[in-house]
Amino acid sequence: MKRSYIGVLLLSAVLFLNIIFTQYMVHQYFYENYVNTLIFCGLNIVMFPIAFFLYKKTKKA
Amino acid sequence: MKERNNKIPFPEDNYTHNINRDNERKLDRRGFMKTLVGAAGVFAVSSLPWGAVAAKELMGLGEKEYPHKKIADLNNLPIGDAVEFKFPGEHDDAILIRLGEEKFVAYQNACTHLRCPVFWVKEQGEMVCPCHHGKFDVETGAPTAGPPRRPLPEIQVEVNQGAVYAVRVKRYEA
Ligand code: FES
Repeated sequence: MKRSYIGVLLLSAVLFLNIIFTQYMVHQYFYENYVNTLIFCGLNIVMFPIAFFLYKKTKKA
Repeated sequence: MKERNNKIPFPEDNYTHNINRDNERKLDRRGFMKTLVGAAGVFAVSSLPWGAVAAKELMGLGEKEYPHKKIADLNNLPIGDAVEFKFPGEHDDAILIRLGEEKFVAYQNACTHLRCPVFWVKEQGEMVCPCHHGKFDVETGAPTAGPPRRPLPEIQVEVNQGAVYAVRVKRYEA
C-alpha cells in the first residue's frame, strides 16, 4: 500500500510552530511585552484544534 | 464506528495502543501523528499559565502599592552617596542614591543579567555590576555596558519630613 506522508509533514510543521510560539511567548513575557505574550499564547492554543483537524483529515491517507 | 477492528486478538504492535506488552513496539505513521497531536495539546495547555499571568499583569493587578518604607534620614545621606535597603520584600535588594539636594534615585539593584548586586561608584558616576562588569545609567537605570540588556526596575521615592521613603516599584517600558 502506498501511503501519503502529507499528514506527518503537516503535523511536524505544527510542532515546529508550537516550539517557535512557545519560545517567543516566554521571551516576550520576560521582556514584559504582555500583549505579545498573550498573542503567542493564543496562537499556541489554536494550534491544538488545527493539529487535531489535520490528524482527522489525513490519518487515512 | 465501522472501521474499528473488533477481532480478538488482533495484531497491535504500534506505539500508541499496543496491548501485547511482549511485542516490540513499532511507531507507525498513525501512531506518530497521534503523538504529534498530543504534543500540540501539551503545548496548548502549558501555554495557559503564561497567558494568565500576562493578562493579570496587563490588567494592572501586578502594580500594587506596598506599604511605604523609610530608607534613610536626609542628614545621614550626603549628596553623591548611596544606601542599600530592601524593598518591597525582605529579600529584594535595592539601592538609593542621592544625586542632588532634592534629587534621589532608587533601583532594585539585582543586575538584570544574572542578578548580582549592582553598586554605585561615586567616582565614575555610574552603577556597576561586579560579576561581568555590567554598567547602568544612574539617571534612568538603563544598561550602558556589559551583558545586561534590560534596565533596573526603578523604585519611586518620596521625601517626607527629613527622611526618604520608598513608595512603589515602577513598571518599566521595555
Ligand atoms: S550579573 Fe551583572 S553583569 Fe552579569
